[in-house]
Amino acid sequence: MGENKNTEIMLKDIGMIYRTNDNKDVTALTSVNLDIQKGEFVSLVGPSGCGKTTLLRIIADLITPTSGEIKIAGETPREARLKRRYGIVFQGAVLYEWRTVLKNIMLPLEIMNVPKDEQEERAMKMLELVGLTEFANHYPNQLSGGMQQRVGIARALAIQPEILLMDEPFSALDEFTREKLHVDLLKIWRKTNKTIIFVTHNISESVFLSDKVCVLSPHPGRLSAVVDINLARPRTMEMKTTQEFTNLVAKVRNSFEGV
Amino acid sequence: MEKLKKLANTKYFMTIMWILILVALWEVFAIIVSHTKRTPENILPHLSGIIESVFSRRTVNGDQTAVKMVMVNAAATLSRAGIGYVVGIVSGFALALLMSLWKPIEKIAFPYLMLIQMIPILGMAPIINALTGDINKSRIVIAAILTFYPVATNTLAGFKSVQKEKHELMYSYAAGKIRIYTKMMIPSCIPYFFTGLKISAPMAITASILVDTLQGGIGLGCLLSQALKGAMTRYVFWQIVFFSAIIGILSFSIMGLLEYIICPYKRTQKN
Amino acid sequence: MIKKRISVDSATSVVYPLAFGIIIVLMWQSGMLHKILKTDEYILPYPTRIFQIISENSDKISQNAASSVFVTVTGLVLGSILGYLAAIGATVSPRFGKGGLTVISAFNAIPIVAMAPVIMNWTKDISSKAEIRSTVAKIIVVTLMCMASMSINAHRGLNELKPFSLDLMKSYAADKKTVFLKLRLPNSIPYVFTALKVSVPASVITALVSEYFAEYRAGVGRQIRENILIAQYATAWAYIAVACLIGIILFVLLLMAESIFLRKRRSH
Repeated sequence: MGENKNTEIMLKDIGMIYRTNDNKDVTALTSVNLDIQKGEFVSLVGPSGCGKTTLLRIIADLITPTSGEIKIAGETPREARLKRRYGIVFQGAVLYEWRTVLKNIMLPLEIMNVPKDEQEERAMKMLELVGLTEFANHYPNQLSGGMQQRVGIARALAIQPEILLMDEPFSALDEFTREKLHVDLLKIWRKTNKTIIFVTHNISESVFLSDKVCVLSPHPGRLSAVVDINLARPRTMEMKTTQEFTNLVAKVRNSFEGV
Repeated sequence: MEKLKKLANTKYFMTIMWILILVALWEVFAIIVSHTKRTPENILPHLSGIIESVFSRRTVNGDQTAVKMVMVNAAATLSRAGIGYVVGIVSGFALALLMSLWKPIEKIAFPYLMLIQMIPILGMAPIINALTGDINKSRIVIAAILTFYPVATNTLAGFKSVQKEKHELMYSYAAGKIRIYTKMMIPSCIPYFFTGLKISAPMAITASILVDTLQGGIGLGCLLSQALKGAMTRYVFWQIVFFSAIIGILSFSIMGLLEYIICPYKRTQKN
Repeated sequence: MIKKRISVDSATSVVYPLAFGIIIVLMWQSGMLHKILKTDEYILPYPTRIFQIISENSDKISQNAASSVFVTVTGLVLGSILGYLAAIGATVSPRFGKGGLTVISAFNAIPIVAMAPVIMNWTKDISSKAEIRSTVAKIIVVTLMCMASMSINAHRGLNELKPFSLDLMKSYAADKKTVFLKLRLPNSIPYVFTALKVSVPASVITALVSEYFAEYRAGVGRQIRENILIAQYATAWAYIAVACLIGIILFVLLLMAESIFLRKRRSH
């Protein structure tokens, strides 16, 4: 490891200790070392309590680690956030229900003071990317869960972030919708060339999507293995039935410690 | 025939049915009363009698007809109730906003907001009348106090109900306080705000009428007291009863309609 | 460091409002409040004077308080029971019942001042004693007010069941009575408390206001009004203090009842 020109995210010896209300220390993460390259698709996979969401939130500058060092393209997470380098997608779509689909995507652009006519143009382009152009003037509660999540992705991409942070974005969707969104997400990733950090508890999902699967184990939360996924790109649904795929899934599963 | 069946199944049809049942019950009792009592219009006049009195050209006081008197007095009461209502809305919203913006204010005000809820403020109308010394001022003040509490608590609940993730998104956009409030907090608390408006609209009207009854002069409540004492035809009293009931319900519905107009997203349903 | 912040946080939530309250009372007692409100100690007597009046007239005050509390509680109980029964009716026959609930909910928006005198007229023949006539009339007004909020909330409690719970009952081939007793009734309890939180303060207010229109002079509300009419402001303030106390005590009792019911529910 070490600083490389292409390193987008560098995590060095990251630790996170929470203090609970009854004054007990809980170690959520301990000594995580990880380098993520520019344009890489990296999954953080593990059971609940392994600290995968905590790690994502540390990268996003939503929380500050209690120890260790973190650099986003050479800057602190705070600097990266203030430069709007992050696009975040949550498990729920977290759409602003009083705004139409188009206006939801325009919201971050309004906050960034993007000129008015450019806002709409960029938002429409994003809608096209996720294939929801004809729903521009619908309200979120008129859309299905899968469609709402696509709006969430479009909104995250609208600010043209370098890094897309996704926290279990598809776990509330049914299997058919999820598989479709996997393929769509990979297409979007190829077109936009973002660095994606994808948190999930679904091993097969992580293998199918990623270049690199980071396996996190609980008690205390730690990075127990990094599995490189050398499956060819573009990935297709058919790959899921190959021996190669099954072997990788098994490899990831065997990397968990203490589960 | 099919259409008729469909119509009978709607909620509105059933509501109308119920209103008709209530009217029928009223009339049955009115007939009983008119046969057993010497002054039936004091107890339960026929609805037709009340409606007739609304359209009657007969003057009841000076050169005023009954309905004109009711309207003139209603204007005096309702305009003050309206001013108080607006004052209450503005101050209630402002307090909720301050409480949400600044933690110490929330800590100071919250227990007192809880306390106001338990205190019978309407029962204090006479003292507020004495404190302000002016009937118009006291109408405004009491309507404002009664509006203030539901608006403040509901708006605050609205601010607090904004999802954590929505805050985090704003944080990731590096949005400033003003943007966070104008783009997220205020729009998302609007339905809660309207809950407060709907609760307090009839209360503001009730309060103003009540203040009227405490003092002479012009106002629906004053007229009500006079009519009760038999200063003019009893139909004036019944007109006020129905008028204030209708206005109370109407004020609630108007707020509902306003919410429907302002929040288009509440109209749409996933199908 | 973190521990310290938590204890400071909880301490300030007690200290801040307490300090605010003490400042107000001090301003009141020292006459500053009178200057702000542009009034005198005659209309707004000092707190010490109000306490003095309460202790001097405790017999008369407690008599009137008892009258108000009796009307409030009786009306509250009757109205809540009737409202709950209406909700059951609307659940048994939803097609007919829902329209009825809409009509009942409109009662909430009718000003008490319009309702109270009408009902005073209706009860004129009930008894030869003015005290009984008036009490019955006041109770009816409170009952009507409480019915509305209870019927709406209880109807929601009886019908907004957890997903699949009704299907589960069907799979047991449970009859309607069992579904009601084992599922709908327990499900409605939190909603009953929601209704009561609205109707307890409302019933106190309704009782006080309906006393204004009663033939028989009794109750805290009536005393507030009568004393102001004869310019006995200090006495009126004493009754206001009692009215606030009644409201607070009834509400606290309700909260206690709720916590007992919900604790039982959790341990089951």
